[in-house]
Amino acid sequence: MTHSLHRRGTAESLKNDYVLLVTAAADVNHVGSKEKLRKVLEVVWDIGPSNIGSYDTGTVYAGVNIEEIKAALNEIPRVRCAFSSREKIKEVIRRIKELDLGMSVTVQGPTEDILEMSRELGIKPHSVNLSLDIWGKTGDLPSDDVLEVVTQCGHGLISRYLVEKAIAEVKAGKKTPRQAAEMVAHPCVCGIYNPDRAEEVFKRYALASAEAAATKE
Amino acid sequence: MLVDQEKCSGCGICVPYCPAQAISIVNKKAIIDRDACLECGNCIRSLVVRCPKGAFYEEPGLYEGPRAIRRFFSDPSTSHKVTKIPGRGTEEVKTNDVTGRVCRGEIGIALEVGRPCLGTTMTEVEKCTMALAELGIEFEECNPLTHLMEDRKKGTIQKQYKEEKLVSAIIEFAADFKMLVPIMQRVKKVAQELDTVFSLDLICCYEDDGSLPVLPVLEELGMKPRVNSKVNLGLGRPFKIYREKKEEKVCDTFTA
Repeated sequence: MTHSLHRRGTAESLKNDYVLLVTAAADVNHVGSKEKLRKVLEVVWDIGPSNIGSYDTGTVYAGVNIEEIKAALNEIPRVRCAFSSREKIKEVIRRIKELDLGMSVTVQGPTEDILEMSRELGIKPHSVNLSLDIWGKTGDLPSDDVLEVVTQCGHGLISRYLVEKAIAEVKAGKKTPRQAAEMVAHPCVCGIYNPDRAEEVFKRYALASAEAAATKE
Repeated sequence: MLVDQEKCSGCGICVPYCPAQAISIVNKKAIIDRDACLECGNCIRSLVVRCPKGAFYEEPGLYEGPRAIRRFFSDPSTSHKVTKIPGRGTEEVKTNDVTGRVCRGEIGIALEVGRPCLGTTMTEVEKCTMALAELGIEFEECNPLTHLMEDRKKGTIQKQYKEEKLVSAIIEFAADFKMLVPIMQRVKKVAQELDTVFSLDLICCYEDDGSLPVLPVLEELGMKPRVNSKVNLGLGRPFKIYREKKEEKVCDTFTA
């Protein structure tokens, strides 16, 4: 169970952040599923994810292309990707439903939005994984902004120190918010990190830096 | 991981990528604090750190001793050679519409110990498993952590793994709905005793009218779910939502 669930941030910052997870279940329906998931990848790519990758290849931001991701699907295949708009994720779901592949489709995002989309598409959700927050020694955690970025990696591979370095470089004007967001993308090998959303976090620092410079002048 | 000191140029490009802050530059060379290293593999991946000299390498014999669990619990691209089970946990809600791992009238719980950011030792994980075991819960068969236990009824971890450090370990189990309150009370209590953090998950099925019976109970417990969640859309087949009989569990795969 996972951090594709526990993405941190305010309701506003989570508004356009969706993760699509299409999965074959071992020993239930994985036999012959590779071709089905290739079709899903084609739909996803056609609509335009904000990130996509796989454990075996890495992501598009690390220099991998969609053909390599397709070719790397293994015997128990899975599709992992991120979207930055409600319209896009809804269209992906609509087209996957139309394909009628019988594979499990799970979406991470604002719960009410997913349920509303489901109603609009005539889908009755099966189950939900609810995030009941972080517990324990929370005083040792980094700032909310850093958490907002690191929790976008499903396996905890985005280092807080990399995010802090990126923030420092944006503040110093050495990197644009987009460059910072793409630099941080590399460790998240399966591709559910959303650089569009991370860019918004880094923009806060670019703005603060610009305001500070204007005040000095 | 280790650094080939002859190859390393001391450029330091690798340093911020380490989630455990285990890499430092000493005498113009990168060195790795072996105790802090979680063996997540970030530094060795050619598409992540991109060490210009290819100086990182895997410690010989890593998979032979208890340290192997660092690798298996921290690097998602590894298959679990110690437990024979891949990944840190099951596919949880992601395939729940076909596995029926959690059906109506049941709850699925997970504590991901060490996440976010802080990591964990197995000793911290054991504090949680022992506390939960007292409630008589059955730990998930298809989760690798369960296979590192010395005694599943007591939730104890085998001694040789206790000091190993990991990005995270996931404690997973399913239980009857009526166990929700005692489990959450126990979870709150053990949280106060930990030297790390955990993220808490609750899986449940929608009723025919779209309601979730857990919500009023959670409200009474003061545990309001966050605004974002993972919803299984129910497009998988064969569809399963009621538990018809006690079945042998079939191991699922990686978690993301």
